[in-house]
Amino acid sequence: MPKAYLIHIIGIVQGVGFRPYVKILADQLGLSGYVKNLGGGEVEIYVEGERSREFLDSLLNGRPKAIYIEDIRVIEVAPRGVRGFTIEKSSQEVETVSMIPPDLAICDECLREVLEGDERRRRYPFNSCSFCGPRFSIIKKLPYDRENTSWTAFPLCDKCTREYNDPKVGGIRRFYYQGISCKNDGPQVKLLDSTGEPIDVGDPISEASRLINEGYIVAVKGVGGFHIFALASDDDVVAKLRKRKKRPTQPFAIMALDLETAGRLAVVNKTAAELLTSPQRPIVLLFKREDSPASPLVSPGLDKEGIFLPYTALQYLLLSEIRDKFAIATSGNIHGEPMCTDWRCVAKLGVADYILDHTLEIVHRVDDSVVRFTAGRPTLLRRGRGYAPVWIKTPLRLGRAAVAFGADLQTAGGVGIGDKAILTQYIGDLDSFKALEDLDRELRWLVQTYRLREFVLVCDLNQTYNSHRLCREWAEEFNAEIYMVQHHHAHALATAADVGVAEPFVAVAIDGVGLGEDGAAWGGEVLYVDGARYERVRHLAYVPMPGGDLAALRPARMALAYLFKYFGEDWDLVERLKLAERLPGGLSEAQIVAREVKKSRLYTSSVGRFLDAVAAALGVAWERTYEGEPAIRLEATAAGGRLIELEAEDQVELFGQLIELYLKGADVKDLAYTAQYKLGQILGKWACETAERKGVRHIVVGGGAAVNDYIIAGLESVCGRAALPSKTPPGDGGIALGQLYYLAHLGV
Amino acid sequence: MIKLSHGSGGVETAEIIEKLFLKRLPESLKKVAGGLGLDFPDDAAAIPMGDGRYLVVTIDAYTVNPPFFPGGDIGVLAASGSINDVLMLGGRPVAMLDSIIAEEGLPYETLDRVVKSFLSVLETEGVALIGGDFKVMPKGQLDKIVITTVGIGVAERVIVDRPRHGDKIVVSDFVGDHGAVILMLQMGDVDKPEQLKLKSDVKPLTKLMVPLVEKYGEYIHAARDPTRGGLAMVLNDWAKAGGGVIVVEEESLPVRPEVASYAGMLGIDPLYLASEGVAVLAIDPSVAEEVVKFVRGLGFQNARIVGEFREAKQHRGYVLLKTLAGGLRILEPPRGDIVPRIC
Ligand SMILES: [Fe+3]
Ligand SMILES: [Mg+2]
Ligand SMILES: [Zn+2]
Ligand SMILES: [Zn+2]
Repeated sequence: MPKAYLIHIIGIVQGVGFRPYVKILADQLGLSGYVKNLGGGEVEIYVEGERSREFLDSLLNGRPKAIYIEDIRVIEVAPRGVRGFTIEKSSQEVETVSMIPPDLAICDECLREVLEGDERRRRYPFNSCSFCGPRFSIIKKLPYDRENTSWTAFPLCDKCTREYNDPKVGGIRRFYYQGISCKNDGPQVKLLDSTGEPIDVGDPISEASRLINEGYIVAVKGVGGFHIFALASDDDVVAKLRKRKKRPTQPFAIMALDLETAGRLAVVNKTAAELLTSPQRPIVLLFKREDSPASPLVSPGLDKEGIFLPYTALQYLLLSEIRDKFAIATSGNIHGEPMCTDWRCVAKLGVADYILDHTLEIVHRVDDSVVRFTAGRPTLLRRGRGYAPVWIKTPLRLGRAAVAFGADLQTAGGVGIGDKAILTQYIGDLDSFKALEDLDRELRWLVQTYRLREFVLVCDLNQTYNSHRLCREWAEEFNAEIYMVQHHHAHALATAADVGVAEPFVAVAIDGVGLGEDGAAWGGEVLYVDGARYERVRHLAYVPMPGGDLAALRPARMALAYLFKYFGEDWDLVERLKLAERLPGGLSEAQIVAREVKKSRLYTSSVGRFLDAVAAALGVAWERTYEGEPAIRLEATAAGGRLIELEAEDQVELFGQLIELYLKGADVKDLAYTAQYKLGQILGKWACETAERKGVRHIVVGGGAAVNDYIIAGLESVCGRAALPSKTPPGDGGIALGQLYYLAHLGV
Repeated sequence: MIKLSHGSGGVETAEIIEKLFLKRLPESLKKVAGGLGLDFPDDAAAIPMGDGRYLVVTIDAYTVNPPFFPGGDIGVLAASGSINDVLMLGGRPVAMLDSIIAEEGLPYETLDRVVKSFLSVLETEGVALIGGDFKVMPKGQLDKIVITTVGIGVAERVIVDRPRHGDKIVVSDFVGDHGAVILMLQMGDVDKPEQLKLKSDVKPLTKLMVPLVEKYGEYIHAARDPTRGGLAMVLNDWAKAGGGVIVVEEESLPVRPEVASYAGMLGIDPLYLASEGVAVLAIDPSVAEEVVKFVRGLGFQNARIVGEFREAKQHRGYVLLKTLAGGLRILEPPRGDIVPRIC
């Protein structure tokens, strides 16, 4: 008895050859039926025939990794007796949104062709197929057709044309693939000197590997921007790179040829291996091996290494000839500025000795995504290549389309239509004008691509944010309404949207700072959120924040503020803790801080500033050369530490007791551990009490500090499992999602 | 409720003035016909005199804690401030009126010293004191002394601050000295200014502006003394008024190292610190280099070009600082409140 299935799939990304894949699969199995695009990323398939079950099996378990399916529903139906399998035109012109394909790492098949395939594709640096290769980074407009992408500059050779037109020639991977190319017609790779002058060499990639092996620094054009490659095993080379990049301690990422190489550098478990080899291919932060061959200067003072695998043929070819099989691959940018997408920008940096350039134009800058594990769960620190701009389905629908401007540091914006939130790729820090321009450009691009009209705008409450300023510019230009959301309310809603909570919930919103309704710098908040309203149930005790943002830049200022708050103005303690020495201005700055504390104009409940204070007072870190540095180093210090039992009502008491123990000679590792774990317990206690009192079941965590292992462990030791976002970063890179979700709750 | 930040001269002040005055006044009452008034943010107002010239008028209240500081006192400040405002509109200062309010209990000697310095500035500048008022308020109702001055001058051509595409931004001297000195005194580092040999830059700029306007008047598209809110305030105002973008080279900014390091300790960008004897000019590019030479010849050795005004279609009103590393940082308009941004 022949079987038939009606299959409804949600979340299909365009441009990954889904429909051709379905057709070829059905044809192979001798099945009849159709596949139809319903719009909005939804597809309907009907199959009938003896081997329908096999079809279903292949679709569910054997499909290429590139084909992402959010949700699938299958019903068995009576066979209709149709003949042949067709790709049906959508019944009415599909006007609804389609998902913009993200960039995909090279697939196994394509890699095999590069390593051992026929002449046309062996060692071809741009080899890609329906299931892999650049997408978003090269797309100028929708639909995803060759003439709308950077590939349009490369007219097809006869062989590619045949592969493109005929599934029997091209097979499932090349039939109708918009980015099809080969050695005969594809982009060219060139080696340039540091000023951009071309160097004539036989094989530029081999030559680049050779130069890297000799200790030179080489900029390499990737998918969404330039990387700076350098030997990661050589202290001198790493030190040279740090000097040239003016980046004293911020960790560099390492690209490792394969899982085996990655395993020599760090501990790679099964989940990590899956992430590392996924089509998204993010940088994954993994615990370093003690005998790692990487230089300690790659990530000084940290227990984790950021590792990723190559995601283009070019990178594979390059790494396979690098003697270590791994190398630093850090983004090619000026500190705090967006990454370069053309060689001119790289030449200006003055970091690289050579530039490995190519001719496939980058339309959208897309940074590497970064994932870490928080209490065992993968969490996004940066959502870029491979993830953006895939939409996130929200539990509630927006009435009107909306544009969200996010926050200011490590930020992303987004647009919302119906129940889809489409976040831009990671944009960066908006005190850089170029980053602000990028945000503006990417938002305009999304507005145009999704044909938004009559949209509303939403931004952070903080008027000093450049994102807020940009939002006001848009309001004037488009005559659009502005809504504002308090920063931590947005963090709370972002996590709720990410994990699918639509009912009232309790949120623990913990981060560096966000402007509170009372003008203070919030950041350690327990909120009860009922959609568009929230109640600030509890927060960390207010502590002066001497010098405003300067207290964030100079953690010893926060240490002084905490010290004076708990012990009074005790200069003997200041001396014993060497706090004056940890300020650039020394004792006179400490005295200024003391005066500022006495008549403070700004108070903070920030978790970030608490961690800064602890890090500085314990001598773990008192400089901030990159965002979150003291907190990140404090977390690293806590590895292997144990909990010291102590009673503390709030974080000020906790700080005071830690200092007393420190002065009595307690182990810094244990103190660091206790600072974070106990803080988590304090917040956890407040959160559960609130949840119980309000009678809600969900406790969510959001904000940049929500990735801290020990805080989350402490919190969950009291509360049980709390929800963390998995599709978006819990930090400010996810704020735009919360802002859009706020509007959905508001009924806009 | 009125907060201190409303009087900071920054964003909050602009907002409250807008609400209290500008929104309520009909356009016709914001200026005398053919002149310049509240309709445009500038140093002073102008009234046409009928013969092609303008009467330039300005008013300012001066309160400074402490009243005496290295390099000057509130008397010098009150006289120089209004003289400079007249000059920055292209006027030649001719007369002044004053209103002094003293706090009950103020030592006679203090008042005597302040008035002496006030008058000595008028004398050297040849500005007549044509009227005044003197009052005393009960103890505790104000802080020692407040001096309000009205400056009056005559201008052949009014410099309305509207920079044009390509204009070079010229600064006549180091910026932020006055603000740094006052901050030091307020923070209680009394010995610091002497230690660092830092003093306020307060002075009238007649010797600079009168010859400059005479020779290059038509090429000066904007002129301002960067008092409250510092250079950052002036540049932000101009970027907005000109409908463009100002790009400033960080490298070229004249800030004394001691001012920079002290401001650094307080977390303040020196570009937000007040100067009381510095001119900022937007000069037509064809003569900008020449003007710098001319200004240096007038005794302002540290004068230099620091940046450029550019017309822009998007992001109008931004002031961008080109950093040493090659980045473009946004220099925001000053505010009175400290609002944290760094996460
Ligand atoms: Fe945040
Ligand atoms: Mg002027
Ligand atoms: Zn492939
Ligand atoms: Zn070809």
